[in-house]
Amino acid sequence: MSIASTNRMTPYLFLAPAGLVLAFALFYPICYMIYASFLDWNPSQRIGEAEFVGLRNYFKLFGDDAFRESMGVTLKFAAVVVTIEMFLGVGLALLLDRNIRGMSVLRTLFILPMMIAPIVVGLMWRYMYHPTVGIFNKTLKSWGFDGIPWLSDGSWAFASVVIADVWQWTPFIFILSLAALQSLPASAIEASKIDGASGWQQIIYIKLPLMLPVLIVTLLLRLIDSFKVLEVILVMTNGGPGLSTEILSLRINRTASEFRELGEAAAMSNLLLIVLLILTFTMFIYNKAQDARAARLRAVEEEV
Amino acid sequence: MKANNTKTWSAAIAVTLTYTGSAYADGHTADVYAPYEGTTLVVNFPAHPHYNAVLEVLPEFTEQTGIEVEVDQLQYLKMRERQTLELTKDEGDYDLISYVVFSKADYVYADQLENLAKYFMNPRLADPNYDAGDLIDGYVANIGVAGGEKGYLPGPTGSLFGIPFGSETSVLAYRKDIFEKHGIDVPTNYDQLLEVACQIPELEPGMGGMASRAASGHQASHAFLLHLAPLGGRVFDSEWNPIINSPEGVAAANALKTIVDCGPEGGTTFGPAEAAASFQQGTSAMFMDSIAFAAGFEDPSKSTVVGKVGYALHPEGVRRGSQTGGFGIGIPSNAQNKEAAFLLMQWLTSKEQDLAIAMAGGNPSRFSTYEDAGLNEKYPYSATFGEALKYADPDWRPIIPTWGTINADIGTTMSQVLTEGLDPQEALDGVAERARAVMDEAGYYTWQ
Repeated sequence: MSIASTNRMTPYLFLAPAGLVLAFALFYPICYMIYASFLDWNPSQRIGEAEFVGLRNYFKLFGDDAFRESMGVTLKFAAVVVTIEMFLGVGLALLLDRNIRGMSVLRTLFILPMMIAPIVVGLMWRYMYHPTVGIFNKTLKSWGFDGIPWLSDGSWAFASVVIADVWQWTPFIFILSLAALQSLPASAIEASKIDGASGWQQIIYIKLPLMLPVLIVTLLLRLIDSFKVLEVILVMTNGGPGLSTEILSLRINRTASEFRELGEAAAMSNLLLIVLLILTFTMFIYNKAQDARAARLRAVEEEV
Repeated sequence: MKANNTKTWSAAIAVTLTYTGSAYADGHTADVYAPYEGTTLVVNFPAHPHYNAVLEVLPEFTEQTGIEVEVDQLQYLKMRERQTLELTKDEGDYDLISYVVFSKADYVYADQLENLAKYFMNPRLADPNYDAGDLIDGYVANIGVAGGEKGYLPGPTGSLFGIPFGSETSVLAYRKDIFEKHGIDVPTNYDQLLEVACQIPELEPGMGGMASRAASGHQASHAFLLHLAPLGGRVFDSEWNPIINSPEGVAAANALKTIVDCGPEGGTTFGPAEAAASFQQGTSAMFMDSIAFAAGFEDPSKSTVVGKVGYALHPEGVRRGSQTGGFGIGIPSNAQNKEAAFLLMQWLTSKEQDLAIAMAGGNPSRFSTYEDAGLNEKYPYSATFGEALKYADPDWRPIIPTWGTINADIGTTMSQVLTEGLDPQEALDGVAERARAVMDEAGYYTWQ
């Protein structure tokens, strides 16, 4: 009896170290953050000295126009950026999925932007956008056009930040899509060719559906990342002009360091976490549903 | 050859004499520093022209006292973040910190800075020749003292927590050549200033009138407050009611908007460095900001306007009021070598070193330094700066713990005024309303 129960315990015993690491490395910081969001906590205090204020930080946030605006900016930024990047990245992958000489060199070149430290990317773009000495306005002016207020006008600043992010992260989607494309079963594509599918038909009916699981994961990763982007925008605009580019992670940063409200910053981080969790779960459920549907179809086929 | 020899000899004699002199001085002060010989002090300084000058002087301290100094230099906003963490520890790593003026409120309120009274009372530590009366009083009031009027100003209940070091006031820098070319007089009041600012782009195509900070956040707020005090406004009245939306406040916002509109291209994203660069590169004709930038304008390796820059007092609105800001040095409560740190602090702010640092390009903290003939010869603008200090306004912005939030709000709202055409009155009404809520929550209306 006792041997049997010991046997049953064995797997858990082996799992225990990993569980312990998980508990400390993952749950402890998250719980800490959740606890902190209920405190009126100033960085000059230790956490023990901070006053417990219940949900006050959250109520304050929902009544705060600046927070709502920055939430809006974040959602808009994530949606715009990820859509453009998905189109460009997948498009590029479809174009370059062929045997060109020197492909591996090209591929390395394409992913260079991704490898540059975000601070450097921010600085680089900031100088390129510079109103007088930046390359864009210099070129425009030498062609006889007026300069564009890249970073000094609200809507242009948003567009400028989007351009920089697209430049940096399209390669990520490109490289994952390319890998997915190259691992597609050749038989399906050949079969479609024999059936006389055109290039577009191949892409729409064969390649994209087969790539979908990878694309969804890619999309999710990019979406999560774009909600958390900080350095590039911090360096380029620091959220301005006004609040036009103040995305949530920047606001969290400012709340913690500039306004010295650690509790409020924690509450914001939690809200961001919740938004991301909802996104992840939606994707997860969608994937499950897809799998279930595929299984059902297979079962029907087998019965026939 | 012979003449050369004579020169060498007299130089050698001079060196020997100096050496004997300093050796005597060493012998005289050795008793003070002896107990701390071999100690290593860790100090936290910002990356700032003044502190770069300090680094040139610092080896001299080690030589004279045998106390080693290790410097941790950080960008000034990063420095504040680091200190916030450092000061909450039981045993801190820093023995002496330089703090931004608006940190005074936070640090003193959280009991993280040493009250300096006990050091100045200690006969073994305090130098009788220190001459504290020579320190610029506007700076001491703004940066050093807390606990008096309104909590952050001097008064019967106040005491000293730091000494100004790398403090700044504002002056108007202008291009002498451009002003002469077009026969423009140097503005002495705000009407003239705004007129000239918008006249320049018409007279000199491609050149902005005045380069100003304006970037969203702290920079735009700073620029607005710079005009608020001389135009007669304040952020709060004596009972902490926000009065930033007064007619004076609106006038200040309009002044800033005029300046930025007539300023160099892309000015709405300028921080102080960009604004100074614009002036240095000759794309704007005026620059009104901290005196700390002056040394850079006269540096031929960075500046294209060396020798063409004139300096004048911050123009008068309804009153004179130039900014007070910059840095002070203080001893953290959790420092491990407090007495040695005090000795370093006293040495750095002494008359001799204040002058030495000023000669290396730093900002003086003493009236006597500004009066020094050698300094005026090397930096001809020193006399104007000394004059400007008489009008330095220690109350041009409140230094209270809630200031971070209110400052950021003023800054983003001002940025909206500058870039999105938000109406200044409406903008400031909003700021006042939100400021009232912040102040209420922090308990400023408890006694009303």
